[in-house]
Amino acid sequence: MNAPVLSVHGVHAGYGAGDILKGVDLDLPRGTILTLIGPNGSGKSTLIKTLAGLLPARQGEIVLEGRRVNELSAPKRVRAGVSYVPQEYNIFRNLTVLENLRLAQEFMGGVRGRTPLRDELLGLFPDLPGKFKALAGNLSGGERQMLALACALTAEPKVLMLDEPSAGLSPKYTTDIFEAVKKVNARGVSVLMVEQNAIEALRISNTCVVLANGRVRLNAAADKVLEMRDLQSLYFGDVRAEATAS
Amino acid sequence: MISFLILMTTVVCFSAILAAGLNFQWGSGGMVNFGLAGFYSLGAYACALLMLKAGANTFIAAVGAMAIVAALSALVALVTMRVTEEDYFAIVTLGVGEMLRLVSLNEDWLTKGALGLAGIPRPFGDAVAPEHYQYVLLAISLALLAGTVCVLQLIARSPFGRIVRAVREDDVVAATLGKYVLWARVRIFAIGGALIGLAGSLHAFYYQYIDPTQFSYIVIAYAFMAVIAGGRGSNFGVIWGAAFVMVLLEGSRFLKDLIPALDAAQLASLRIIIIGVGLILLLIYRPHGFLREHRLEIDLEREGSRSGERQGQAAAPSL
Amino acid sequence: MFGQTLFNGAVTGVMIALPALAVTLLFGVLKFPNFAVGGMMTVAAYMVFALNAQLGWPLVVAAAASAVLFGGVTIALDHVTFRPLRERGGITLMVASLGLGFILENVARFFYGSAARSFTYELARPFRFFDVRMNREQAIAMLVSAIAMGAMYFLLKRTPIGRAMRAVTDNPLLALARGIESPHVIRCTNFIAGVLLAVAGVLVAMDRALEPPMGSNYLVSVFAAAVLGGLGSPLGAFIGAIIIGVASELSTLAISPNYRIGVPLVVLALILVFRPQGLFGQPYIRR
Repeated sequence: MNAPVLSVHGVHAGYGAGDILKGVDLDLPRGTILTLIGPNGSGKSTLIKTLAGLLPARQGEIVLEGRRVNELSAPKRVRAGVSYVPQEYNIFRNLTVLENLRLAQEFMGGVRGRTPLRDELLGLFPDLPGKFKALAGNLSGGERQMLALACALTAEPKVLMLDEPSAGLSPKYTTDIFEAVKKVNARGVSVLMVEQNAIEALRISNTCVVLANGRVRLNAAADKVLEMRDLQSLYFGDVRAEATAS
Repeated sequence: MISFLILMTTVVCFSAILAAGLNFQWGSGGMVNFGLAGFYSLGAYACALLMLKAGANTFIAAVGAMAIVAALSALVALVTMRVTEEDYFAIVTLGVGEMLRLVSLNEDWLTKGALGLAGIPRPFGDAVAPEHYQYVLLAISLALLAGTVCVLQLIARSPFGRIVRAVREDDVVAATLGKYVLWARVRIFAIGGALIGLAGSLHAFYYQYIDPTQFSYIVIAYAFMAVIAGGRGSNFGVIWGAAFVMVLLEGSRFLKDLIPALDAAQLASLRIIIIGVGLILLLIYRPHGFLREHRLEIDLEREGSRSGERQGQAAAPSL
Repeated sequence: MFGQTLFNGAVTGVMIALPALAVTLLFGVLKFPNFAVGGMMTVAAYMVFALNAQLGWPLVVAAAASAVLFGGVTIALDHVTFRPLRERGGITLMVASLGLGFILENVARFFYGSAARSFTYELARPFRFFDVRMNREQAIAMLVSAIAMGAMYFLLKRTPIGRAMRAVTDNPLLALARGIESPHVIRCTNFIAGVLLAVAGVLVAMDRALEPPMGSNYLVSVFAAAVLGGLGSPLGAFIGAIIIGVASELSTLAISPNYRIGVPLVVLALILVFRPQGLFGQPYIRR
């Protein structure tokens, strides 16, 4: 049984007057992949941003490896081991590919600090070295996503959080991205993913969490969820919350 | 003492009209006019010159000044139609104000440059004995101020007023209304300009002598203070705000008695420093002014949270 | 004659370039146009005056010391004036910066009065370079600016902090998610801007005269240059400044020198109508 690397208890958060997250509880067991699905407006992106430290949690606890991290700013959380890849605008468009990677190395506090980029990392993303001098903004959607992922990984994070990694990508890149996520996870990185592309994501995941109206509605093993006939109903919160550990 | 109060109140009146102009352009319309001093001086010079060179009477001159400033304001708004970002608009108006200042300084043939224009007539100036005149001017100023506030309140309640609020509150929503909104901006800026022109005319009547030094940059600081202290967007608040700034200014004159070691120039500098500090303190601690608004107008803090939302959305648009 | 004008334009241009660069760096990181830069140049120049003419330090030493000192002053000013207003939005910050500009200019006036001053240093005769008459101040201005530009290029392109500044300019939220602490970047940006403004202040004071309105006279040109180049783009600020400088000088051949300021304004208006993002900026989606 894995102790969760990341625990979320009763988190409330929002942008304006009301709360979008109304008491979210979830655990990310170490070394697993968790996919978060749910209808639009349910708070999936808000949750990830709150966990990343870009939005303050108004109530509740966020615990990383037993340590409460609510008070840590986003950059500090990165150094504590939580890497976040936003859905859009996830690379610095006016910097080159190499500069994006260098920047990640210099500021995200990976184990090796400012050493040359590890071959393994680059091995995961074979397309990148050829494009080092290109401006990140000129890359295709799929290449940008790969770069964003690569940057997040230079921190050698304990937890990798991805907000809709396959959004807007062609099928080839979608497959590539999920392949990369699998390989990363195989190396011990725990992954929390928000995805609309539920089926493909769930295929590589251990756990599925359904978020609706700012609360967790279902927390179950991913393969069990895949078996459920009526995936639609999950999106509309008909299914009662079951806490089933994977 | 009475005399002093009457004079001060008169100054507060046209300062309030000036602030009301800025308030309408910025507080209601979201357009920051950093060239305010220049437009104000344009109003004063236009009024004075219409009387001195074209022989117009005070009423015609004032109306003419209002029209001229309104026209220039409309032109500026037209030229910057494509530019809805407040930053850029502020920079442009700063430049326009600067140009106007230079014109008043350099075009001697028209404005007598640094010498200024003297002997400016005033409304009913010949009809009333000098010792009673201050009452007349006060009455006129109060009447015009009251008229200004009435007109602004009427505008606020009108359909045009709703458009104005839409333009201010959300560029995106307003933008979907398209061209109509762009013309609304022109009209807002022009109406504000007319008020600024009116204030300038009263300034000319009051002092009867104008030169470029009266219209330095610092005018904009006073006007901003008045608008912010009274609560941005509030037509009544500007009156309060103008009074507040006047008290601050006049009060700082008494510094001379407190600190006799300073000479006049240093005191003048010190007063400006106090105004600057006051403005910043106001922005930090009392951005909504000193009055409580019943209806929540746009507030300077909500601006921040709105942009925070947009930042949040820029990072990950879907929820 | 034409060559002379071009040269003068280039000199004017480099003197506008340093503050324009400061403006664009500050804008990129702090997201608002800082109208206090005029007053800042002025105060920095008076600091040099204090060290040089009053304490008797050689000009170069006084300038270097002031530049470093003023970098710190800029950090302090930002901390006191703008940090409390960070969340409020562009106009509030602009108005505050305008107020700060007034304060700074009048602090200088308070201590030093309105009379024009000058630094103490060896005077030299102007010399001729081909057909162009150059005085030593102008030569120094070109040289110093070139060095400053080179240093800035190196900083922005080749150092981690420079990359971090560019990253924050590009996408502040992502920068946070990539481990870049914004207070640190803000401090560094303010320091660099302060140094640039101090150096610019010295050059302008040497070329024109040291008096309280010195800096604010430059405001319109500086902003026109920054906007022309694209707010947030350092290269753009430099090129914009040269264009404005040369255009301003060339215009004196046709119109009265008193209206030289009209040129930056017209350029600004044209840019904003036809290409608001400037030469190198991005079409700006207002946060």
